[in-house]
Amino acid sequence: MTAPVSPQQAARLEELWKRIAGILASEDPLPSRIAEAALIATGAQDATVYLKERDAWVRSGPKLSGGVDPGEIPDPLPSVAFVREGDLWVPLATEGEIHGLLRLLGIPGEEALENGPLLGFLFGSLVGAHRLARLVRDAEFELKARLLELESLYDLGLSLGGQLDLSSLADEVLFRSISLTDAGRGTLVLLEESGTVLLERSVGTEILTAKDAPGWTLPAGGLINNAAASGDTAGAALSCEKALAVEISVAGRRLGVLAVADKESRDGRVLDFTPTDARLLSLFANQAAAAIETARLHKEALEKERIERELELAAAIQRQILPRDLPNVPGLAIAARNVPTRQVGGDYFDVFPLSGGRLAFLVADVSGKGVPAALLVSTVHAAVHLQIDEAPTIRDLVKRIDRHLQRYAVTRKFLTAFFGLLEPGTGVLRYVSAGHNPALLRRSGGDVEQLKATGVPMGMFPNATWTEETLSMAKGDLLCVYSDGITEALDASDEEFGLPRLSRLLDSSPPDEICRRVFDAVASFAADVPQYDDQTLLLIHRT
Amino acid sequence: MSETCKVSSERRGDVAILWTDGYINNQGGEEIAKEAYSRLEQGARALVLNLEKTRIVNSIGISILIEVLEKVMDRKGVLAFCGLTPTIDKTFRIMGLAQYAEIYPTQEDALRGVEAKTA
Repeated sequence: MTAPVSPQQAARLEELWKRIAGILASEDPLPSRIAEAALIATGAQDATVYLKERDAWVRSGPKLSGGVDPGEIPDPLPSVAFVREGDLWVPLATEGEIHGLLRLLGIPGEEALENGPLLGFLFGSLVGAHRLARLVRDAEFELKARLLELESLYDLGLSLGGQLDLSSLADEVLFRSISLTDAGRGTLVLLEESGTVLLERSVGTEILTAKDAPGWTLPAGGLINNAAASGDTAGAALSCEKALAVEISVAGRRLGVLAVADKESRDGRVLDFTPTDARLLSLFANQAAAAIETARLHKEALEKERIERELELAAAIQRQILPRDLPNVPGLAIAARNVPTRQVGGDYFDVFPLSGGRLAFLVADVSGKGVPAALLVSTVHAAVHLQIDEAPTIRDLVKRIDRHLQRYAVTRKFLTAFFGLLEPGTGVLRYVSAGHNPALLRRSGGDVEQLKATGVPMGMFPNATWTEETLSMAKGDLLCVYSDGITEALDASDEEFGLPRLSRLLDSSPPDEICRRVFDAVASFAADVPQYDDQTLLLIHRT
Repeated sequence: MSETCKVSSERRGDVAILWTDGYINNQGGEEIAKEAYSRLEQGARALVLNLEKTRIVNSIGISILIEVLEKVMDRKGVLAFCGLTPTIDKTFRIMGLAQYAEIYPTQEDALRGVEAKTA
């Protein structure tokens, strides 16, 4: 029969339980609380609590970061309490699962030894409950982390869809990749279509050398958890042991490489990347690829827009230079028209009266297109108007302009030109054709003569010379000067409009009428075939 | 080497402001925790974490911030964040940090907010 508990004993036990309850309810880490409560309950000299944290053992202390020496934990784990070398080892278990061990040193007596298994049950339940609570919390955290991954993919899609700046886009992709894979560092390399490095970003020490990116062979799935043993060039080139590297590509074309390394754990170890990490990084890479391609196309579109603006400017220059009205010269009927192609070319014509009733005219065709051609036309226009009164002859005028072009032309371009000076009263025509298409002179009787080039194109050779021809235009004669955009207009079968077709359209009709007819005929001949050269026609009829 | 996170702090009355500069990962989180616990030990009742120089936070960094938050709440204190990038802002909201800690756009807003709560 057991002796009744004395009031003193009851008071002492109550005090003891209060202390234990206070310790267990404190904010100290659970192993420390268990160890302290066990010391009070048993009167042992020292207590240590070992807890199994995922796949590692940790020892009780101010922080659960202390390592446990190999051999310190009994192997196999005891399912019941036992005494070894004077220490009491108590398994902390619930439902047959051992969560930890309580080790009591310096046990004062048998009573304490007998209480060991009871302590194991009590503290085991506590650890089990604590563990369960933590599992729930971890599961909740994991769930939120998965939600964050999904949200990030969604956000990244939205964000990248509206992001046309490659630099910001690269940051967005890299930061999210590092963050969601718990990587310690990351590198993103974007490549030009040619394979040269367009952009490189790293957080922490760079993982991969950017210049090697085009030639890397990456492992299937992207996981490199032992770089040294990897047979892939990427693995061999890595500056770390564990990494994850995926290709950013569109239609099999590599746009870049995205790599992360040093997956972190809470206890400071470097973990293997998981297939989930690889899948996530691949999804990021896919989204990045689409966004990078969009940004690249946007850049191209901007370039196209710039070129179009430049062409607009060139067209405006040309429009300013071409005569708005043709001069009204007694004894002559004049018609002229210039149809520029979509891309601004270098056709130029001018007709203007000079002193003594003379008429100066020219049709020129500058090599090339766009602003450079328009600027050259502008230069020639200015030179002609400045020099024509000073130059004693057309030939001198051509020589002076040629010299000017040789000296000052910014671009290495040349032009063909037909310069003419006509005296309306006498019909005397002086002309120089600098490599230009043969002008046509339709005599009143219907014969058509070709006025062939009298020298090479201007701006081409430093010491070029030209001859000046003189002829007489009788009343009823028609002079037709044109650019090769007319005679070289192509139809669907690549046939040229040609000189004979143009010649046949020249008759005794008023020049306006002939001009309209020529352009109608060329348009009808070319049908829907796009033309890439300006078309210019100048007709002078001596009436 | 990972990007190192630097943490600095300043006491303003009952409030301690902590500035982070860099990646809030394991190392960054530990730096924050160390600084935060030190300020709490010194008697700060509220912490304002200014993250305007942080562009990346990972899940380990977040779990440490949750531990700091729990510690502050155990002491009936207040924790507030400010200067978050839109991505980090959303991350904190999803991961539950915003449930118990206020997020403010600027440091001034955060100081006004925590002072009102601790008054």
